Amino acid sequence: MEDKGKLLRSLLVPIIKRQVPTVTFNWLEEKSKLINEESGTSVLNASFSAVPRKAGRAITDISQSEIDQIVEQFNGFMIEGWAIDRVCRLYLVASINSDENIYSEKVEGLFRDAEMNELSALYSFLPVLHYPESWILRTAEGIRSNIGTVLEAIMYQNSYPFQYLPEPSWNQLVLKAFFTDKDVNRIVGLDERANKPLASVLVDYAHERQAAHRTVNPQLWRLVCKFIDEKNISDIEKLFEDAHITERRAAVLACYHSNYEPARRLVEKEPAILEDVKSNKLNWSSL
Amino acid sequence: MCCCPTNPDNEHPQEPGLLVDLAGNANMRFFDPHIHMTSRTTDDYQAMADAGIVAIIEPAFWLGQARTGIDSFRDYYSSLIGWERFRSSQFGIKHYCTIGLNSREANNEKLAEQVMEILPSFVYKEGVVGIGEIGYDDQTAAEDKYYRLQLDLAKEAELPVQVHTPHRDKKQGTQRSMDIALEHGLEPHMVIIDHNNEETVKDVLDRGFWAAFTIYPFTKMGNERMVEIIKQYGTERIIINSAADWGISDPLAVPKTAALMKVQGISKEDIELVTYRNAITAFGQSGQIQEEDFSSVSGIDQSQKFEGNTILRGGQQPRIDKSSIIIR
Repeated sequence: MEDKGKLLRSLLVPIIKRQVPTVTFNWLEEKSKLINEESGTSVLNASFSAVPRKAGRAITDISQSEIDQIVEQFNGFMIEGWAIDRVCRLYLVASINSDENIYSEKVEGLFRDAEMNELSALYSFLPVLHYPESWILRTAEGIRSNIGTVLEAIMYQNSYPFQYLPEPSWNQLVLKAFFTDKDVNRIVGLDERANKPLASVLVDYAHERQAAHRTVNPQLWRLVCKFIDEKNISDIEKLFEDAHITERRAAVLACYHSNYEPARRLVEKEPAILEDVKSNKLNWSSL
Repeated sequence: MCCCPTNPDNEHPQEPGLLVDLAGNANMRFFDPHIHMTSRTTDDYQAMADAGIVAIIEPAFWLGQARTGIDSFRDYYSSLIGWERFRSSQFGIKHYCTIGLNSREANNEKLAEQVMEILPSFVYKEGVVGIGEIGYDDQTAAEDKYYRLQLDLAKEAELPVQVHTPHRDKKQGTQRSMDIALEHGLEPHMVIIDHNNEETVKDVLDRGFWAAFTIYPFTKMGNERMVEIIKQYGTERIIINSAADWGISDPLAVPKTAALMKVQGISKEDIELVTYRNAITAFGQSGQIQEEDFSSVSGIDQSQKFEGNTILRGGQQPRIDKSSIIIR
């Protein structure tokens, strides 16, 4: 585990050095060493909080090759678009060197006392925290948050939920993303983890919205398409009658990707859209 | 709360010309450096944003009844830097806080000891602009002990102190608050003495401390008295706040007082000092206040989107039509 931390720190060094004054970098290095050696949490907790006053909060300037290197070494981990305080905080967390129980306690303590930005930062570190199974309940708790930035830290560009969340928590995440108008295109593994219970909950959710005369995000049908059956095909048929082109496009996409024969036949209703789907001019991400 | 002019209990029926009209405040921005939003509704946030309040400080305080365990304190502090901060940002209002053990609960010594242990985990958090509100209530030995310990913490953390002064025996209590602060080596410019009145203001200013005034109906200052104080003492080191909380109080006390000052002929520059600038100068000594964060409220996170929608500017939360009985 220490090797992974070291490797991550070494990849972050040039990025941080370029962005902060030498005195700040030296401060960070010193704290990193102390965190690495301390058995308690006093340096970790205080320096983790103090980062923005040392490093500021400007968006970090990161080159494509630096991004690629981290993605490659850390299983798709993305730090693109992060502010410098978040990058420095990652550097400090990557300096923790303890066995499983103590490590989990230390990180859990950071979560427990976190302010809003710290909380978002910690959730965005999930893919590179050690002992991944330890963070399942913590992540499920994060999904219950109503703080937009915290939800986005879990939902966007974050491979952890995709890889580790059990199905009920994963479904909760996706449902909440629709519920709070998030950009579902940024959820890692969205299509791969589509499942029948989720499709059924989403269809119910769509019915509720329709009953209240509210709009339904057409991306929702993306998670239903593999599970179209005699029960819900009428929902898809209704989509073909919708006045909005986006809904009709979603209908064609859903049927095109369906394995249910009656649904597959529906695509003929919109030949022009079907052409765009076949040529990949239209897909779920471009919808 | 609505005031009925025929109510015999109402000592000051609304005078013509002094109905709420904040139009004179157009283009002014306000900073309320003492308000307990935990006890207020979203309607208040909306009204505050509409009235020009761009930033606030929420001091940690007594919640109306005593807490019985350390986790209640932890969760409260955590809500001041978490949920409440986010709630405020949804209305375009930048939220800061001060963290401390209030004087009333300092009297539960066993719990107070535990609170002192967790305070260092919170005072260095982003947006914590001071130690507060601390000071004396009954002026007991326990209050004295924890006031002193927290002054030391403020000195160590290089943070300003927001001092609550007692309702009873106010003059003595205020004197003593200042004496002890000096005894612990704090510079007067790092200490904001709150809830002043005509009896305490001169001494506080003479000794170089900041003098804050709370415009709070019936119990603290009224804003007509406030205008007289400005006329007499000027604007240097004077700060106005609402201290609105769960009592009958007014979250618009700062903009209303600005409007009254304008009506009474106080210059725009002076109004700006006591309703905006001085608070920033005083609490900005924490290094935690950036004015450029106010207009965008993006200081929290440059890429921030708010719950349920993608607005980035204040005052754009969906509105409910209050003139209709229909709710959609």
